[in-house]
Amino acid sequence: MKTKMFACLALLAACGFSLIVLADNHEEEDMNKLVFPEAYKVEAVANGGKISGVVKFDGEVPEKKKLAINKDQAVCDAVAKFDESLVVGDGNVLKNTIVYLMDITKGKDFDAEAKKPELDQKECRFDPHVQIVPVGIVLTVLNSDKATHNVHIFGTKKNNTSVNKQQPKTRKKMRLSREGVAKKAEGPIEVKCDIHGWMKAWIAYVPHPYFAVTNEKGEFTLEDVPPGTYKLGYWHEVCGTNNKAPVTVKVEAGGEVKQEFTLKVEETK
Amino acid sequence: MRIRNFTLLLLILGLFFILPFVHAQGATEAQNIAEGKKVYDNSCAHCHGIEGRGDGSAAENLLPQPRDFTRGLYKIRSTESGQLPTDQDLFDIITEGMPGSSMPEWETALDADERWQVVAYIKTFYEGFKESETLPKEISLKGKIPYSKESIEIGKELYTQFACYECHGDEGRGDGTSAPTLTDEWDYKSWPANLHQNWNYRGGNDIDDIYKRFVGGIAGSAMPMFEDPAFGLSIEEAQRYTQLDNKGEMTDAEEEEYTQLEDKMANAFDILDLINAGEGDEEQKKFYEESMKTFYEKSWHLANYVKSLSPEKRPEAAIGKNSLRSQYVEDELPPMDDAVWDTLEESYFPLVGQVIIEPRQFNPTIDSVSVKSFYNDTEVAFLFIWDDRTHNTAEEENEDIGKTYEDAIAIQFPVKIPKGPTSPKPYFLWGGKLAVYLWQWQASAPEKTTELTAKGINNATEQEFQGDIETESAYSKGQYKLWVKRALETDDKKDLQLKPGVFVPIAFSLWDGANGDVGTKRVISSWYSFVLEPVPSVKRFIYPPIVALLSLGLLIGLRGFMQRRNTE
Repeated sequence: MKTKMFACLALLAACGFSLIVLADNHEEEDMNKLVFPEAYKVEAVANGGKISGVVKFDGEVPEKKKLAINKDQAVCDAVAKFDESLVVGDGNVLKNTIVYLMDITKGKDFDAEAKKPELDQKECRFDPHVQIVPVGIVLTVLNSDKATHNVHIFGTKKNNTSVNKQQPKTRKKMRLSREGVAKKAEGPIEVKCDIHGWMKAWIAYVPHPYFAVTNEKGEFTLEDVPPGTYKLGYWHEVCGTNNKAPVTVKVEAGGEVKQEFTLKVEETK
Repeated sequence: MRIRNFTLLLLILGLFFILPFVHAQGATEAQNIAEGKKVYDNSCAHCHGIEGRGDGSAAENLLPQPRDFTRGLYKIRSTESGQLPTDQDLFDIITEGMPGSSMPEWETALDADERWQVVAYIKTFYEGFKESETLPKEISLKGKIPYSKESIEIGKELYTQFACYECHGDEGRGDGTSAPTLTDEWDYKSWPANLHQNWNYRGGNDIDDIYKRFVGGIAGSAMPMFEDPAFGLSIEEAQRYTQLDNKGEMTDAEEEEYTQLEDKMANAFDILDLINAGEGDEEQKKFYEESMKTFYEKSWHLANYVKSLSPEKRPEAAIGKNSLRSQYVEDELPPMDDAVWDTLEESYFPLVGQVIIEPRQFNPTIDSVSVKSFYNDTEVAFLFIWDDRTHNTAEEENEDIGKTYEDAIAIQFPVKIPKGPTSPKPYFLWGGKLAVYLWQWQASAPEKTTELTAKGINNATEQEFQGDIETESAYSKGQYKLWVKRALETDDKKDLQLKPGVFVPIAFSLWDGANGDVGTKRVISSWYSFVLEPVPSVKRFIYPPIVALLSLGLLIGLRGFMQRRNTE
């Protein structure tokens, strides 16, 4: 009788453990995504501070990988194209890294420009490679090419915004107002052109404006940050995130905080 | 009294009719879900997973992969792009299954109530079903254009205008230049449909089904939602625009016309954007309605064209009256490109993945091989035709689809023809105790056919003496053609010897290199048989009359003899 009870208990424990493992797995997935506050309140920011810095890459810089262009060469192969998943500039600076405040709950509104996000398809390449789109805002997709593209924004459980619309060469501008407006913050999620399989980009749907994408020099700037202490996070396509150990920054009124990040390629699990 | 009784009877009878419905409606959603879970866990979870994530224990080997229900993305819908499917859509898919995938029909295994319960249950995997306040918007089938030659012609032009060829290829065999890189949203390889084999369409092959796929897209796959590339232009204007667009040099007048058409479209697209955003004035709304009508009209033409690419139904396999009969010709056998081949009916050999011996092919991409044949007094020629989306001639490391191998075909015969239909044949997978004789052709050597002898799928050897098998081949627009010619009889004992009128077993192995086919991983057929159709001899026109005449003469003679004897 006792042994039976033990067996049952062991079984229960095993089940419980496997559940924990399962839950963990799900968390693993989320570790590659951005972190958002539960709510965000817009209010005027007077005498805010500034966070700026440079993101650098640590490790052997892989050789630039030229993309194989197997079709529409006249349009797509006029300028050589390279894989953009890891763009490292002089001085090992890292482009296309999102640097953002994870836990800000109140602050400024998006500026006018941020509310008109545009994603261009030019010479069969998405520009920009990493895009910030405010939640509830319409994304406009441009086609600057004399070629047919299809904008395929992958769906997720959260938003069900799987958008896959053909954009013929005759349509220079397409607003994704009907199907492409995210209701919830998430991301970054993948964007692809299936017709030109090498065309890839990322979109992050965000609830507040304290997001920056590093430029060619690896630089980022977050302005008008209300004074306070925040968690500063980053996301990069192949270097991952610092969700497990975000940096804490203290912003003072009118002050400037400098923060540098050094990222490595995530070890493949 | 009597009348009252009658009414009572009616009432009771009526109740019997109504009660089942009342009962069905009375079953609460919660009950349906609970019942649905039982059915689901029993019948569906092996592939779709206990939690509906498409990760059941059997999922690993399946392509297309089982649907992940937690994302709310359903490929086959009667609803507009970005919308959830209707309950009926889900019910229909469960009932009918998805041809060309591992999803079977459940009509025979589950009764209708159970299928509806499963519908209720799988909807619980995705919150969106609960959250959406309105019913999904169904695609209207209004304005359907009847299937006609004219409509097909218009549709054919639209096929190019709508850029369908990018993935589906110029002639629609799924061989477009974008085909090799296509994946679904779960990053699994997905091939565009071969429009010549519509029995493999997942969501049915009625014109209505095809139309719904254009208008609604196939969610989660690379198939986008279409929008009219010449929005705002009439069919004629769109044709004119394409014509000018393809022109190298335009006259000034043409240039102006072209610019005008472009402006018209740009303006129309702006209005489309406004309407999609819920803006726009009355006039713009009217313009939008009109332009959408034209777009739907175009989509019907396109659906008619796509429908026309496939035969009316899947051809019957080459058995019985459909079996392969090589036709006799007196002269030289026709070469591969001779038009006389078109006069022959194809014999159709359906193929399946080889799943008996490892490595196996669970997800075949070659549907079938079609064969025609002629023979004369000394030789026989075969024409083998099969669809393959890609032309692979070597082993390569491909970034998009992984390792690829060369395409190939092997035609299999027994070394010794069985004496009768019940005599044993060699094992259908390249023989065993009884050996098979093979013709093997590989895409890297397009003008060579190798003779093999095999005593098992992994036990084949090239014949020492390679006979003279004349070979021609071609790959074009997603289709292979292989032509071989050989003497009916050879000196090599290991070869197959052919005689008219004798039924000879035949079987096939094919490899689609882009699908990872190599070695035992291949598509196969079981044994079929073919015959060199014996020539009805001319002698039948000579001997029977002679015999008849002789008999007649004999009878007359006999009669004369008898008469003479009688008179004597």
